[in-house]
Amino acid sequence: MTVVKYDEATRTYEGTDVAAVDSLNLDIGDGELLVLVGPSGSGKSTALRMLAGLEPLDGGTIYIGDRDVSNVRPRDRDIAMVFQNYALYPQLSVAENMGFALKQQGVPKEERISRVRETARILDLTPYLDRKPKHLSGGQRQRVAMGRAIVRQPAVYLMDEPLSNLDAKLRVQTRTEVVELQNRLGVTTVYVTHDQVEAMTMGDRVAVLKDGVLQQVDAPGTLYHEPENLFVAGFIGSPAMNLVDVGDASPLKIGDSSLTFHGPGASAVGNGAGRITVGFRPEALRVVNDGPLEAHIRTVEDLGPEVYVHVAIDHQSESLPLVSKMPPPFEGNPGDSVRLQIIGATHVFRGDGSRVASTTANLS
Amino acid sequence: MSTTIRPEITPSIQPKVTRFQLSESWRRRLPLLPALLIMIVLTQVPFVMSIYYSFTDWKVVPPGPRNWVGLDNYDFLLHDHFFKDATVTSLQLTVFPVLGAILLGLGFALLLDRKFFGQGLVRTLLITPFLLMPVVVGLVWKNQMFHGLYGVLNWVIEKLGGTPVDWVSRHPTTSIIIVLIWQWTPFMMLIMLAGLQSQPADVLEAAKVDGAKPWAIFRQLTLGHLRPYMELGVLLGTIYLLQVYDQIAVMTGGGPGSTNVPYFVFQRSIGGGWEFGQASSFSIVVVIASIIIATFSLRVLSGLLKGEEIA
Amino acid sequence: MSNADVPVVVGERKWVNHALGFAAWVTGLIFFFPVFWMVLNSFKTEQDANTAPKINFTPTLDRYDDVTKSASGLLSFGEAFTNSAVIVLISTLIVLTLAIPAAYALAIRPVHKWRDVLFFFISTKFLPVVASILPIWILAKNLNLLNSRNALIILYTGINLPLAIWMLRSFFSEIPRELIEAAEIDGASLKGQLTSIILPMAAPGIAATALLCVIFAWNEFFYAVQLNPVKGSTVPIWVTTNISTRGDFLAKLSAASVLACIPVVLAGWIAQKRMIRGLAMGAIK
Repeated sequence: MTVVKYDEATRTYEGTDVAAVDSLNLDIGDGELLVLVGPSGSGKSTALRMLAGLEPLDGGTIYIGDRDVSNVRPRDRDIAMVFQNYALYPQLSVAENMGFALKQQGVPKEERISRVRETARILDLTPYLDRKPKHLSGGQRQRVAMGRAIVRQPAVYLMDEPLSNLDAKLRVQTRTEVVELQNRLGVTTVYVTHDQVEAMTMGDRVAVLKDGVLQQVDAPGTLYHEPENLFVAGFIGSPAMNLVDVGDASPLKIGDSSLTFHGPGASAVGNGAGRITVGFRPEALRVVNDGPLEAHIRTVEDLGPEVYVHVAIDHQSESLPLVSKMPPPFEGNPGDSVRLQIIGATHVFRGDGSRVASTTANLS
Repeated sequence: MSTTIRPEITPSIQPKVTRFQLSESWRRRLPLLPALLIMIVLTQVPFVMSIYYSFTDWKVVPPGPRNWVGLDNYDFLLHDHFFKDATVTSLQLTVFPVLGAILLGLGFALLLDRKFFGQGLVRTLLITPFLLMPVVVGLVWKNQMFHGLYGVLNWVIEKLGGTPVDWVSRHPTTSIIIVLIWQWTPFMMLIMLAGLQSQPADVLEAAKVDGAKPWAIFRQLTLGHLRPYMELGVLLGTIYLLQVYDQIAVMTGGGPGSTNVPYFVFQRSIGGGWEFGQASSFSIVVVIASIIIATFSLRVLSGLLKGEEIA
Repeated sequence: MSNADVPVVVGERKWVNHALGFAAWVTGLIFFFPVFWMVLNSFKTEQDANTAPKINFTPTLDRYDDVTKSASGLLSFGEAFTNSAVIVLISTLIVLTLAIPAAYALAIRPVHKWRDVLFFFISTKFLPVVASILPIWILAKNLNLLNSRNALIILYTGINLPLAIWMLRSFFSEIPRELIEAAEIDGASLKGQLTSIILPMAAPGIAATALLCVIFAWNEFFYAVQLNPVKGSTVPIWVTTNISTRGDFLAKLSAASVLACIPVVLAGWIAQKRMIRGLAMGAIK
């Protein structure tokens, strides 16, 4: 059952021509954690705020449940929101912060207190109930912000980059806690982040936005293995996918090597597609002793469980950087000459960025 | 890098370090000194002189000797019912205008804190009274608004079916209070506006999402946020309003109900009384009272100087 | 950011917005009315002005003529205006010259006890002007400064200096530390830092401060009338000479008032936004 529906939702700011959110169509199911991800300016926060009622719609509709909420005030939408800078009420204590919404709804005092206590227990905030926000650490404030949303039982949770102000280690830790909590509570959640790692690890589905336009919405695995266009391919995954412009003449060439496709989809590559770009992830590019493609090593990143070898090849009379992911141990130093081969999924993109096929390929 | 020299090995370096530190401290003070010295001379010298005169019985017209009389003036002052009246009037002319200006100022600021057609123009209209000369304000209100026969206020009252009132003669205190509120509301409005506009936007949004209606937001969040601003308004307003003179001089020229302590001091000294000794004792009392108020409000100042809380 | 920056609030009924805007307009017009009426009266004949309020009349500039022509032995508008202008401009310049270094010493390279110093400056305003007038009058008399511009220049400097220091200090404290430190590393002296970084960045604040000093100095009456009743008299004094015990004077008074207030009102209107920002920042921080 669809809990949140964006139907051609559009928002254009006064004095600008380009839409911040352009005809967004998105269906979000019951209990789903949907992540909106994209670079800054992609419209993800705007889309969230439109759902919250903090931005008006210039076109299209937004539904919560069966209701058209496009012109409904935030307070009547039955939503709870966690803000990026937490937006805690400065003069109220933690307990009063969390109980604020319940108080507005007229929930009787005893019930309010018990619900706040219960939520504080879940979030380990019980010792801080009487403190004011200015006496809390960043991590504690973040939990209060979450608690303020959780103590209600709304139809949808909205979260606007709630972890981005935490230090890296705390962020990773809190990420898991948020996902666990959301699973337990089972409330539909719309989550905005600019960090694609966060998106991939947290979302049931991830919606990628660029310049206000939805690029693709799928489960993380699908986004990774079946990117619909060049942008998604390059945005998802770290280090980024290797993208090589291979021209439009046959045979397609990388450096001095010819590229041939096998497997399903191989036949989809043909004329009329414009300049082809192929993409293959670092794990699909291997340093092999007798590979066809010549390269030299720029740097070697030894992360422990894997080694990223940054190489450069001569391609179309320019130096093109590529990344290869190799299992440890790796013997090689900057400046060394090595040889490469493609082993694994290769994606083929047309000149307009859309995907033609995903297949296996080889260099020769 | 060059080798470092440890101070204890070459003691000749140490005195130089001390001298350098002194110099640094004085170098920081230097830019402050001109302003500081001038203020000390301009304010402390008259103050000390006043203290001295307050212990004498100096009468300037007709010229008389300046004899030391100790605390006689202060003793007299405690029993002088004119002084008591002046003190009461001072309180009336300070407390009511401050409260009135803050309440009105807050109301105006709330009206102005939104986007509407011609918002800038309305704001321009509302700040004008503060820019006018106090003597002009006093004279204009006395002769134009409050006038017994031709006053605008009375014209409105008559149209509403009431009887006209000779405001300044029969209600001097109220008249001056009205004028002071009118002139000081813009000042409070600006302070309140600054407070309203410094509210973090996302906190207000959070309150909206949490279901709070506009009045609830105002009562539960905004008022708390405005507290330091209101305290500042009270502090600054009190400082300035305690010393009001111009409007009194041109509207009533003193007289029962409109003589506050500054005007009283003026009357007893260069305004005709020429009792410099006695008047000085009144001034000193005002200074002491002001210092008490100031120390009481010191916590406000240090709260402000520390900066606002961040949530 | 505040409600004023949000153009459209989702779900708010349009009529509420319009009603509040209308209420604001009505409030503004009523509050402004005495000023409007004063200006109106300045264009009337005395006969028209001194009757029950009326709007139908033939406007005339005669009252402006009346108040600006000079009569021998009496203070003329020209003389008063010149005195005021000179006194206000010079004292404001002196204030800025003293306050800028002082604010530097309180904000950028603060002395140790800067809070106490700041409190001292504010505390000088606790001594009522009326109280200090006796010693000042005596001093002025002995130093031959009565009825001269210099006395007022000095005194207005004293009145405005605390306010200027208070405001400039908070403006200076807004300048990012890194910029100052970078300049220090580049070897800039106090003067260099001031001219290249501090003054340009704090220019709006300095303008707001100067404007407030001008307002207070221009409108000051008590010191002026006590010390300069005969010569060196300022505009506020001149305004009060337009009252008469014989005959009607309201229209003339209105014309005189308009002339007296125009400079500061115009300056305040034009620099409104800066002044608001100045009061907001200067007062609160």
